[in-house]
Amino acid sequence: MSETFELAVIGAGPAGMEAAIAASEKGVRTVIIDGLPREGGQYYRKPPAALALPRTTGVEREGSLLSERLAGTRAVQIFNALAWGVFKNEEGEGYSVGLYGSDAPKWVHVRTLVIASGAYDTSVAFPGWTLPGVITSGAALILAKSQRVAPGQRALVAGSGPLLLPAAACLIKAGVELAGVYESTRLFPKGIRYAPILLGQWQRMREAVQYLSLLARTRVPYRTGWSILEARGSEQVEEALVAKVDPSGVPLEGSVRTERVDTVVCGFGLTPNTGLARMIGCKMEYQPNKGGWVPLRDPMLETSQRGVYAAGDGAGIGGAECARLEGRLAGTAVAVRTGHLGGAEAVRALGRITPRLARARRYGEMFGELFPPKPGWSSLGRAETLLCRCEDVSLKDIRAAIADGARTIGEVKMITRVGMGNCQGRMCERPVAGAILQALGPQGASPDSVGMYSIRPPLYPLPIGFFAEAGPDEPEPAGGAPDGFLSKTDT
Amino acid sequence: MRSKRSKATLPDVQHRRPIQIHVDGRPVEAYEGETVAAALLAAGIRTFRLSRKNKEPRGIFCGMGVCFECLVTIDGVHDLQACLTGVAEGMQVETCRELGL
Repeated sequence: MSETFELAVIGAGPAGMEAAIAASEKGVRTVIIDGLPREGGQYYRKPPAALALPRTTGVEREGSLLSERLAGTRAVQIFNALAWGVFKNEEGEGYSVGLYGSDAPKWVHVRTLVIASGAYDTSVAFPGWTLPGVITSGAALILAKSQRVAPGQRALVAGSGPLLLPAAACLIKAGVELAGVYESTRLFPKGIRYAPILLGQWQRMREAVQYLSLLARTRVPYRTGWSILEARGSEQVEEALVAKVDPSGVPLEGSVRTERVDTVVCGFGLTPNTGLARMIGCKMEYQPNKGGWVPLRDPMLETSQRGVYAAGDGAGIGGAECARLEGRLAGTAVAVRTGHLGGAEAVRALGRITPRLARARRYGEMFGELFPPKPGWSSLGRAETLLCRCEDVSLKDIRAAIADGARTIGEVKMITRVGMGNCQGRMCERPVAGAILQALGPQGASPDSVGMYSIRPPLYPLPIGFFAEAGPDEPEPAGGAPDGFLSKTDT
Repeated sequence: MRSKRSKATLPDVQHRRPIQIHVDGRPVEAYEGETVAAALLAAGIRTFRLSRKNKEPRGIFCGMGVCFECLVTIDGVHDLQACLTGVAEGMQVETCRELGL
């Protein structure tokens, strides 16, 4: 149950699809792997065929065209498969990717990898963020757009960044009454200096105008300089508190408002999904405007690990256009490395991508600069607020660990078990790092000194027994048997 | 149940096939192609599990398979992600199942 390819692309969103297309069109033997049932990722996520939805928007057409192009290549597509681990082969170059999925081979062996793992909503731990009814902007978009289910009856949208507007629009179209959109960044006058970058982005600007006019028509207030403070309720959300905030995101006294809502949609920007890159040992750097920790890459998008490339939002938030061009660049770079492309043809292919990528990056960076993560987000939690949703670890527990001498997020993890649950720290890393920075900032702590969780296989909880079934001819994951996974026991 | 469904589901859907699942023993109407999470939300069920230590109610959060908050028991198999699992006719879903660990 193993197969050999020249390239494995992990993630079939905008970046991964482009990478697989670019590489396999040049003759690279390519496999593309995703945990979802179909290609598209979150941005081009397709509603299930069984729901028979009319498909009309520009983004959906773009996604369908990309799907057709991918289908026209010889790339092997594996869906419903989790890439739970990547291991460097001991002899020579190359990697083994461990897969978990009913129709997937257990292992694929490859010379090169493109990690196109995408991003997820940045966690901000405000009181009540664990209550049923608090969902991320990503969840709201998926439920309302591709599942066609309204997540609640009356909602409030809060957070920061360009995703709040499409989230609000899809809720309105789903028939959800909106109490308001609360954007914690004040856009004026700071935003004005980015106007020149917007020239030429007519499609995106038209979308923004459409969203804002939908809010105006439906009389939904769009307030900038406001933040969510708290969600309250016994079994689920019953009300939400919002307040004006200063530029660093700290709530201002005397401005608190209470809204009766059953749903709070929060979107505080995106965090790159870097678990696989960390697992392989790619050197990481902290880039707040790109969403936090990202793998260090050379101009051809190769990471510090030979033959491992990273593209798209999973390597630093830049948006869909940037992700597509990065995917194309990484796929082309792999074609060069594997000897399928060279000389003048390679120069021409790369020359077609790089100027467009530079423009797309400038556009992506604008959002990173306009809507940076704010230090005040770490001041929303109270002592009993849970930072780790999997293991129920509170801010108080984190502070106790710091008082006991913990200085890094790794030390806090060892003491409190924070980040050791099912999500592998994807949800709590930001709030925990923020809490440490807040406590130790005056003593000179920085994101680099606090550090990040180290990630070990498996990346996802897998059923007990799965590893026992791996055949005797399969490679043993370096470092012995994976630990910390959860059991799915049959009853 | 049907009237609740039509309110929660958007009008542009030309659903092909309504199916029935059971949630904690109660019949719940769902549609082929939906995830378990969407079917539960449409039926007004928001608490999917109780948290490990404090036994607090939790429901769908990230919606895309990252946070593992939406774990339910499906046909006897524990800790499956409701946001990633599609519904199937006759499926037995249990919420807030204590594992007795």
